[in-house]
Amino acid sequence: MISAQHLTRRFAARAVVADVSFDVAKSEIVALLGPNGAGKTTTMRMLAGLIAPTSGSVVRARIGFLTESPGLWDRLTVRENLRTYASLYGLAQPDRAVERAIDVLQLSRQASVRAAELSKGMRQKVALARALLHEPAVMLLDEPTSGLDPEITRGVRRLLDERRAAGCAILVSTHNLDEAERLADRVAVLHERLLAIDRPAALRRRLTTGRLIVRVTGDPARSLETVRRFDPAAAIEGPALVLKVADAEERTPAIVAALVAAGAGVVEVRPEMPALEDVYLRLMGR
Amino acid sequence: MVMTRVRTLLAKELLDLSRNRLALLPVGLITILSLVLPFGIAVAIPMLTGQELGSDADLVKVSGVAVGHESLTPSARVQLFLFQQFLLLFLLTPITGAMALAAHAVIGEKLARTLEPLLATPVSTGELLVAKMLGALLPTLVISLAGLGLYLGGIVATAAPGVAAAMLSLRTALLAVWVGPAAALVSLQSAIIISSRVNDARTAQQFGVLIIIPLAAVLVAQFTGTFWLSSTMLALLGLGLVGVWLLLVLLSVAIFDRDSILTRWR
Repeated sequence: MISAQHLTRRFAARAVVADVSFDVAKSEIVALLGPNGAGKTTTMRMLAGLIAPTSGSVVRARIGFLTESPGLWDRLTVRENLRTYASLYGLAQPDRAVERAIDVLQLSRQASVRAAELSKGMRQKVALARALLHEPAVMLLDEPTSGLDPEITRGVRRLLDERRAAGCAILVSTHNLDEAERLADRVAVLHERLLAIDRPAALRRRLTTGRLIVRVTGDPARSLETVRRFDPAAAIEGPALVLKVADAEERTPAIVAALVAAGAGVVEVRPEMPALEDVYLRLMGR
Repeated sequence: MVMTRVRTLLAKELLDLSRNRLALLPVGLITILSLVLPFGIAVAIPMLTGQELGSDADLVKVSGVAVGHESLTPSARVQLFLFQQFLLLFLLTPITGAMALAAHAVIGEKLARTLEPLLATPVSTGELLVAKMLGALLPTLVISLAGLGLYLGGIVATAAPGVAAAMLSLRTALLAVWVGPAAALVSLQSAIIISSRVNDARTAQQFGVLIIIPLAAVLVAQFTGTFWLSSTMLALLGLGLVGVWLLLVLLSVAIFDRDSILTRWR
């Protein structure tokens, strides 16, 4: 649905985006992460066809683009803003498309209000409605929930879930790691170059080490030797044994089996996975 | 070029302007000034002072050279001369008005951050610029033609016998419907070009004002009797202006660089 191949964009001698390649499939949400100035907006603009890459290519279906700023015409009402865009997209039934978008984004109460009078969150919702008007197969969303209150943010996430279920390929640029984790099937970390792209769990597995907390009956010191077969640095913290394991999901059954074979009664096994933030900071070299 | 898209953008421009009528204030003021000045000088002052226009030998001499119309009384001839001179002021109305609106055309969209989502639609540069051009031209043209109607109506109602008939000439028609709109087109297309190359509306407007300088020179030259624009000269001037405008249209499409507009704005 979107395919970026070796995208590079230079401003004078400086490369803002260098050799970035990735795909976003149908019914998939990919979150584009990166610090300020990492090239996220430039990548989005190249994908939307607004600016040309210095080299590389983009293949995409019909897009809906949510720009970094809502960019509404202040003196026009919400409906007039949307109606103008519906006509520019050449929709056969522009009024119907506008009413549908207003309905989906629950904007009926604001439909006749001038954009200048809307709150930031409402403006963002109108901009989202505008990006959805022509039912695009691909959505490019540049920080869609930036500065929104939790209620509107949840509404936006729900909407994106619905669009994904409807088969849309969605690329979301965000600074919000929690949002990326909740929303995205895969995350792409960009800092001029594409540092990593994968499912959050796979990135964690690959780039960080989780902890496994095991509580056993009786004195945990008696089981320390057993768990040190899996992590030589395993230690006791309070009443529990603590091990560092790269892939807790895969290794837990073997650890539990070993403890049971050694005669320990396992009361609780709790994996502690590092946050996506840890993965991100690791990739950023911090 | 898809005309439905041009119409859509034009409708948006006019709707936006209808809710920002202050933007038309300069055009309105110039129109009022263009009406008050000639009637004040050619009708009100002689009436109030009791001194006929024909009593000024210099004015009679200049008006005779420039206009002709020997059958008119000296006062009527001077009045006709003055009304014809002030007709040029009506050229300024669409020029200044269109320029003020057009100077804001692209930079306004840039500053309001509305250009990026607009450029993400299938709108072409040509469609966008044509809509911007018409959006600036039409309202000012309507106002200036309404002013011109009032001007001619005022002449019919207040001028000396024979002046109104002499005013309703090919020269007047050429000025009103040919040179005026053509000059406005050149002015606003220049302003659109400037507007798409700068990052600040004030800069665009200051550059746009330069277009008035040659027009003011023509106005002064006519008043001093140095120079007289005949109908033929006006027809050729209009043609020249349309030619310049077409070149400017091509230039404005060629230099409208979406890439730098989007990446260099701050």
